[in-house]
Amino acid sequence: MNLRDSAERLVRASAFERFLISAAALLLSIAVGFVLILAAGRMTTCGTAATSFLGVGFCYDPITVYDRLFLGAFGNVFADPLNGQFATTLSETTVLMFTGVAVAVAFRAGIFNIGTQGQLVVGALATAVSVLAASTLVSGLLGTVLLVPFGLLVGALFGAAYGAIPGLLKAYADANEVITTIMLNFVATSVALYLVQDHFADPESAATQTVPLPDYAVFPSTVFRPRDDFSLLAFLFAAAVLVGIYVFLERTSFGYDLRTSGIQPEAAEYGGVDAPRTVVTSMALSGALGGLGGAVYVLMILGNFQTGIPSYGFDGITVSILAGNNPLGVGFAALLFGVLKSGSIVVDVGTDVPPQLVGVLRGLIILFVAMPEFFRMIGRRVWTFEDDPSSRPVADGGSGGETDE
Amino acid sequence: MPPAVRLDGITKRFPGVVANDDVDLTVEAGTVHALLGENGAGKTTLMNVLYGLYEPTEGTVSLDGEAREFDSPRDAIDAGVGMIHQHFMLVDPMTVAENITLGNEPRKWGGLAVDRERAREEVTDLSGRYGFDVDPDARIEDVSVGVQQRVEILKALYRGADVLILDEPTAVLTPQEVEELFTVLEELTAQGKTIIFITHKLGEALEAADEVTVLRNGKNVGSLPTAETDREELATLMVGREVLMQFDKSPASPGETVLSVRDVGVEDERGVDVVRDVSFDVREGEVFGIAGVDGNGQSELVEAVTGLREQTEGSVSFEGQQIDDWSRRRRIREGMAYIPEDRQERGLVMEFDLVENAILGSQHREPFAEGGRIDWKRSRQHAEDVIERYDVRPPNADAEAHSFSGGNQQKFIVGREFERDPSLVVATHPTRGVDIGSTEFIHERLLDLRDDGRGVLLVSSKLDEVQGLSDRLGVMYEGELMDVVDPETVTEEELGLLMAGEYPDSYERAALAADASADDATNTNVAGERS
Repeated sequence: MNLRDSAERLVRASAFERFLISAAALLLSIAVGFVLILAAGRMTTCGTAATSFLGVGFCYDPITVYDRLFLGAFGNVFADPLNGQFATTLSETTVLMFTGVAVAVAFRAGIFNIGTQGQLVVGALATAVSVLAASTLVSGLLGTVLLVPFGLLVGALFGAAYGAIPGLLKAYADANEVITTIMLNFVATSVALYLVQDHFADPESAATQTVPLPDYAVFPSTVFRPRDDFSLLAFLFAAAVLVGIYVFLERTSFGYDLRTSGIQPEAAEYGGVDAPRTVVTSMALSGALGGLGGAVYVLMILGNFQTGIPSYGFDGITVSILAGNNPLGVGFAALLFGVLKSGSIVVDVGTDVPPQLVGVLRGLIILFVAMPEFFRMIGRRVWTFEDDPSSRPVADGGSGGETDE
Repeated sequence: MPPAVRLDGITKRFPGVVANDDVDLTVEAGTVHALLGENGAGKTTLMNVLYGLYEPTEGTVSLDGEAREFDSPRDAIDAGVGMIHQHFMLVDPMTVAENITLGNEPRKWGGLAVDRERAREEVTDLSGRYGFDVDPDARIEDVSVGVQQRVEILKALYRGADVLILDEPTAVLTPQEVEELFTVLEELTAQGKTIIFITHKLGEALEAADEVTVLRNGKNVGSLPTAETDREELATLMVGREVLMQFDKSPASPGETVLSVRDVGVEDERGVDVVRDVSFDVREGEVFGIAGVDGNGQSELVEAVTGLREQTEGSVSFEGQQIDDWSRRRRIREGMAYIPEDRQERGLVMEFDLVENAILGSQHREPFAEGGRIDWKRSRQHAEDVIERYDVRPPNADAEAHSFSGGNQQKFIVGREFERDPSLVVATHPTRGVDIGSTEFIHERLLDLRDDGRGVLLVSSKLDEVQGLSDRLGVMYEGELMDVVDPETVTEEELGLLMAGEYPDSYERAALAADASADDATNTNVAGERS
């Protein structure tokens, strides 16, 4: 069995096989992390050893660390399903669902949108500012019913417009979207900083942030406790968006155009797809989803706009790759990320392990789990265009076709 | 002397398929052996076994009388077997010498650096020894496909190959390059090398090989010296029945003009004029053929007509309407079907299954889409209809396009395009790489469409095809339409000269370019200037 065959098998792996591969990768990353934690524990000095193997004492106990990292994220979920830690996990997951699917849509169209972060920042700021302005007009329950959808709409529109810029540049000026989107991330962050500092700053706060939105203008917490910054409603909305995007890609004419352009641009052109228009529309859609992520971040977690937004947009890239760019898979990948983010906090608080080491452990897990998917993606690209004789099955009178997926 | 290659009872099974069934093959040293068969007959699989890409389910491989087992192509290469694939594996920006020595470069400074000088010398020596005309310093991207193929052969020789396997070596070559290749093969065998080449073309097998082995459905149905056989016998062996090379064609009864091309000029990506001042008409109920050596502007002309490329001059009308600013989508919608030259890049999305491919081009149209939603049930039905009517094998609509052989991919495209109910069919090399049975079938369907009153624009580099099917025949040379002739009366010699850009002595241009009854001023002028 040579490397080529194995690579091909990976490319054509079914959803179930891919799940198994991911699970194996997860275990492997834990094994490596285990050794790292022990080694780091040997190199520090501590009063009492946290654990000992074969008579050697170690300052950090890997089992505790991983227990906290994974299970900590769920809190005491069976006794108290509404606990704060679990709420944090889900709220991280919600934002990552948007950024993940934003990146996935662009990837499926064959566009590397690295600019989800910028689109999220633009959407977030636009939402905060416009909802703040509109919140003087209505209030109470009516305020919530009107202002939250309004804020989401504004976030989506601004994100779409900001995403359309690199789309237009790529379609009509042949500018590489990787470079333009990266640059536009910086532009978004800097402009947001300037606007908040000079125009929308909260005069009573030392931090660079806007005035807090009134309670009726943000997502109601629904079932969960208000102080946990999580709204079940927002989570359900995110899940609906994922399903919607999945249906859009698989069941609509435009989704067909988009997927075809992503896999085989020449065939798309042959099939009557207007390539430049598809690029612009896909980028606008991707930007809209990123902007929605920003709106949800503002309306659910922050309650206003602050500079220094976490790297949800960049995490979205990994989430999307992990999910094989499948909108439904994005839900699960986002949950894994949410668990790790929220679990890290628990490890930080509950053990002596330094936060940097926790970061390394998180990175390891993502690296190991994402790697096969990443190879798969690259492999698919290579495979479409290369007609290697060894991959050409015999046609006469046999089945010879893959029927998975 | 033991034979250079001996395959004994090779059987190769894939899940659900027997690709090779107890195949024996003996190739004597210093000879050219042709492996002949239709698409999917198991030729490539058999050679992949010899090259170590596949492990045979049963059977043995021996070289020079010695039994061998190869785990990978590396083992086969070490044993002196080289394979030249249909798609070259060369690094475009690197030079010929660099490509040939790649992976086995001569070293200097104790193995730390590549000795480029020696690499150049060795390559020059090697190509000199076999009479190859190859510049070691040329970049691969700058040389023709024929030269690239010779580089591939040199690469195999450089690695010490004594047995060379060529997979469909002529598929990508022009007729001249094919002749040159055959000369190269002669030179190689004269120096003791053994050649096996895979082909589905009878003529080539007879011309270039000493012996032919015919495979059908994975079985060896006969190994014959070429001196003792002929086209008919080989064709019968290949398909298991008599092949009719004749076209059963009723006289054309042309109607209205469907497509009218006027003074069209097209530039390629580099801004070079590749089509100049071309005018012709295609009428309902006729096949208008365009003959010519590949690369004389036919592809670009067709792309301008079908909306994949913008013309720089002139105009195109379809059913009486000027369509110069019509998008590709609109052209499809208005009834233009198109069988593209490159089926794997344009005609099919290789990662999509046939259900998804069945609506390529119709993804926004009823009945497959309504209100922006695709009706997958209908497209499945459509895919299955095409598969059944056009005999696509295996008949599995859920299989991805890349899993079908070239011939079956082509049948699916042809079916999809014909079933559009088109008023014009543009067919480019519709039978390239397709086996004889399917070729015949595609020809019949093209003529059916013609008899049904559709217009057909046929571009092909196969002379017998384009001459046999067409009612009027245009010949292109260097982007210009040399003339439009009557395929019934034109002689082989006249066609040859026109394709080479010359007008035969005392030759009068036929005034067939435009519809004779609706005499077009532009065309008469063009014809007048030249004659």
